[in-house]
Amino acid sequence: MSERTVVNEEEAYELLAHLVASAELCIREPYYYGTFRLIDAASKLMGFMLQNGGDGDRAWLESFKHEVDTKKEWMMWDREGYFEFLRSATGSVAGELKHRGDSSV
Amino acid sequence: MREADPVEPPVISPQQKADIVLDVIRTRRVVRRYTDEPVADEQIRRVLEAGRWATTGGNRRIHRFLVTRDPKTIRLIKLISPGMLGAPTAVILICLDHEAIEREQTQEGHSSGLVDVGTQAMNMMVAAHALGLGSCPVTSFSQSGMSTLLELPPTASPLLMVLLGHPAPHRRVMRHGAKTRLTIEDLTYWEHYGRKTPQ
Repeated sequence: MSERTVVNEEEAYELLAHLVASAELCIREPYYYGTFRLIDAASKLMGFMLQNGGDGDRAWLESFKHEVDTKKEWMMWDREGYFEFLRSATGSVAGELKHRGDSSV
Repeated sequence: MREADPVEPPVISPQQKADIVLDVIRTRRVVRRYTDEPVADEQIRRVLEAGRWATTGGNRRIHRFLVTRDPKTIRLIKLISPGMLGAPTAVILICLDHEAIEREQTQEGHSSGLVDVGTQAMNMMVAAHALGLGSCPVTSFSQSGMSTLLELPPTASPLLMVLLGHPAPHRRVMRHGAKTRLTIEDLTYWEHYGRKTPQ
């Protein structure tokens, strides 16, 4: 497993601001907006990882980020599809984690 | 040298005027992807003018607009605004002015102040679309963060941002089987709440 840094200080502050502001918004916004803020934060994180050239599976990251960025917007006009995507998204990440675990053995 | 004849504005019928206005309203969409091209100050002024002409409860005018065009400031605003998904080149922040509220003897929390923010924003977005610009309303930002970043006085409460920019090409991807948008019939009752037809 690589110990390479894939998020620099500036980007970490960006994520920090996003997460703290999102926590504040969760007080007054519809509950499912919180899911959107989290998946959007995941997209930002993947953007940083891709930008800083981690040793992970770049093709998987690019593909998953594209899927997240496409389907997160469904929250606004196709909530059923959006929730369906959220239910499957962790499976995608788990598959990649398993793949990484297998290849580091 | 003979002066050119003054150009008469084209005369259009009420029907043509209605068609133009309704077409602008109908074809406007929220735009969340923008190019880097700055929005001209003249265009921003015309958008502000549209906001100025919006109806306000009792003509009280208890709001103020703050325009930001500086890219660095806009980037900072984006950091504390999770609802700001794109990178606009101009931002109009609509604030509630508590000094004006006091002057107009409006009670704090009166809902017309919030309604007025909506009408102003809508006028601005329709005008932006008519000018060929993209726009997006955003309320999902940290109000304390916004006040700090923009050094707002304690008498100003930031309520809504209208993002402006030149639209970047983008194709919306829809899920197969996704519900289509609501129709007038879905939204409207006639004479009695629940009656679907105007008979």
